[in-house]
Amino acid sequence: MKQYFDDAVSILEARLRDNYTARGKYNLELTRLGQRLYSASHRVALCGVCAPFDLLNAMGINSCFVEFLGGFLAAAGSAGPFLEEAEQIGFSAESCGFHRTAIGAAAKGMLPVPDVVIATSSPCTGGVAAVEHLAHTFGCPLYVLAIPPDDSEKNVHYLADQLRSMVDFVAAHTGVTLDEDRLRDAMHKTNEAREAAIEVYDLAQRVPSPVKGIDLRAFGLVMPLFFGTETAVEILHAYRDEFAARLEQGIGGVPGERFRLMWLQELIQFKHPLIKMLERDYQAAIVIEELNNIYWDPIDVDDPYVGLARRAIAFPFNGSVDRRLKQIQKLVQAYKIDGAINPCHWGCRQGTGARGLIGQALKELDIPVINLEVDCADSRNFSEGQLRTRLEAFMEVLGSRPGRRSTN
Amino acid sequence: MYYLGVDLGSLSCDAVLLDHDGQIMAASVVPTGARNREAIARATQAVLDMARISEAEIKVTVSTGYGRDRVDGRLAAVTEITCHARGAQALLPGTQVLIDIGGQDSKAIRLDGEGRVLEFAMNDKCAAGTGRFLEAMARALQVDIEELCELDQGAAKNLILSSMCTVFAESEVVSLIADGVEVNEIVAGLNRAIASRIAALVKRVAPDVSGLKVAMSGGVAHNHGVVRALSSALDTEISVPLQPDTVGALGAALVARERVLP
Repeated sequence: MKQYFDDAVSILEARLRDNYTARGKYNLELTRLGQRLYSASHRVALCGVCAPFDLLNAMGINSCFVEFLGGFLAAAGSAGPFLEEAEQIGFSAESCGFHRTAIGAAAKGMLPVPDVVIATSSPCTGGVAAVEHLAHTFGCPLYVLAIPPDDSEKNVHYLADQLRSMVDFVAAHTGVTLDEDRLRDAMHKTNEAREAAIEVYDLAQRVPSPVKGIDLRAFGLVMPLFFGTETAVEILHAYRDEFAARLEQGIGGVPGERFRLMWLQELIQFKHPLIKMLERDYQAAIVIEELNNIYWDPIDVDDPYVGLARRAIAFPFNGSVDRRLKQIQKLVQAYKIDGAINPCHWGCRQGTGARGLIGQALKELDIPVINLEVDCADSRNFSEGQLRTRLEAFMEVLGSRPGRRSTN
Repeated sequence: MYYLGVDLGSLSCDAVLLDHDGQIMAASVVPTGARNREAIARATQAVLDMARISEAEIKVTVSTGYGRDRVDGRLAAVTEITCHARGAQALLPGTQVLIDIGGQDSKAIRLDGEGRVLEFAMNDKCAAGTGRFLEAMARALQVDIEELCELDQGAAKNLILSSMCTVFAESEVVSLIADGVEVNEIVAGLNRAIASRIAALVKRVAPDVSGLKVAMSGGVAHNHGVVRALSSALDTEISVPLQPDTVGALGAALVARERVLP
């Protein structure tokens, strides 16, 4: 894997020199992160989705959430053998494909070897179990962050205390301490990235939107891996400048944009032609993924643990589904959405459990939603024709709504 | 000038030919088999022969069904959801809920009463309760698929089948036969199981069907037993057009005509 990432970094660096794009820059930095994770010479933490990556970055610990690795392997078309491996050691084929991929990869020695693992009770308890399983696999220490469901002062301080304790835990097991100046600097960088992300998302809301295809794929979920670093700011500025330039030149992300779609939860990670089909045949742009949003306040650099705790609690998939519904409704209006696609990732109780309430919340705004049955990481259950028919019929429904030119 | 609609489904390939005024000139249904293009040619030739016209007289072709992209010479490929809605509106005007059970999928479509689709739901993951499912059950019962339609008559035991997976249901049927359960009871149990599954699909798009005009299309609508069970499960009357399996192809032909007429 190290050789793979070394080669990929060289290729992407050369490509970026020839043609600098924001997505190219983002891909390069993700690949460099992979290179560090697999280098065997850096300290590594494998985590849950809501871990405070800015804190870990400030400590010089290279970290990622395990679903990121599962998604990466799926996107590379390599998940199959790892999914099978996980099933062979007893994990149900109906459980989350991201977790199965990571667990199978660990069993086959294809995951970075962590110094510590940090589970987070949000967004899902399946994730906690998956991370705990990795702790056993690698024989390394586990820390579990219990993220409370609401932001009462008591809860915020409870989590803030856990974050302090987590830093001590990481220091004890890696020998790396957190320098106060580095922490302040990281929080400044996080806030700078937050401001830049707000600018990027504001631009994405324009009509027509400068967003195309996978420009911002899994952005809101994955970008936090770079929080607390200059890299995050650089990536976001690259996007801001690119989107601003597209808008100035009158170039929409999808030429002749006719439909503006919202993608709920996460994108399908493995290669498939459906998004291109939506863009090409229906001029439909996925202008917003549900998690591409800044839902948290700036971090107080003088009291960072409290701000980081508030941010983790505010994660849209944490606590009552009502928080998620309110955010979806807000985004629908901000992005002037015509319809929503909900992939209902198999094995995700958090995702599928909220399906009815999401449909209802969108109905209140007169926004049609199409539910797809798919495991976003496991291509073995992907039936392209079935999904294509559902999406095409959905576009026909959107096209036949009053005020639209028919697509039928 | 004529308008052709072709519905290439998993079990059958259907074609409908319309004249300039939108009147049905001919309709055909042929088995799809393994060679899609041959099925399309046979279905098309059948309607040309019935109407006694040549292929050159077809002004526009629109295709639908899972194999819609394999129909050469089409002006457009439109999904079966839209086409069944158009076809049902033409045959049973004012339809508000349409149930289409085809060879490998089933759909519940909510219409506005004028042929426009408001919402739809489709079966997920597997083909339980579709034409393929019924074929497998007929095989297990050692009866023709046509015979299956009336075999539920006289059943009174309210037998419940526990599995809707095609493979497991087939074993369950074989076990019931071995246990000496009457065939009509088994068939009625199968019909109820299908109806229960489809009724749940219908309720996703129309939580309350009372007062709504409900219709059924697709090959399975020929099965009176399934229609009766569905009608009972939804507690409503279900209208079925004379040729339910060509509703999709008719819808495609209607879309073809709409595309070129002002």
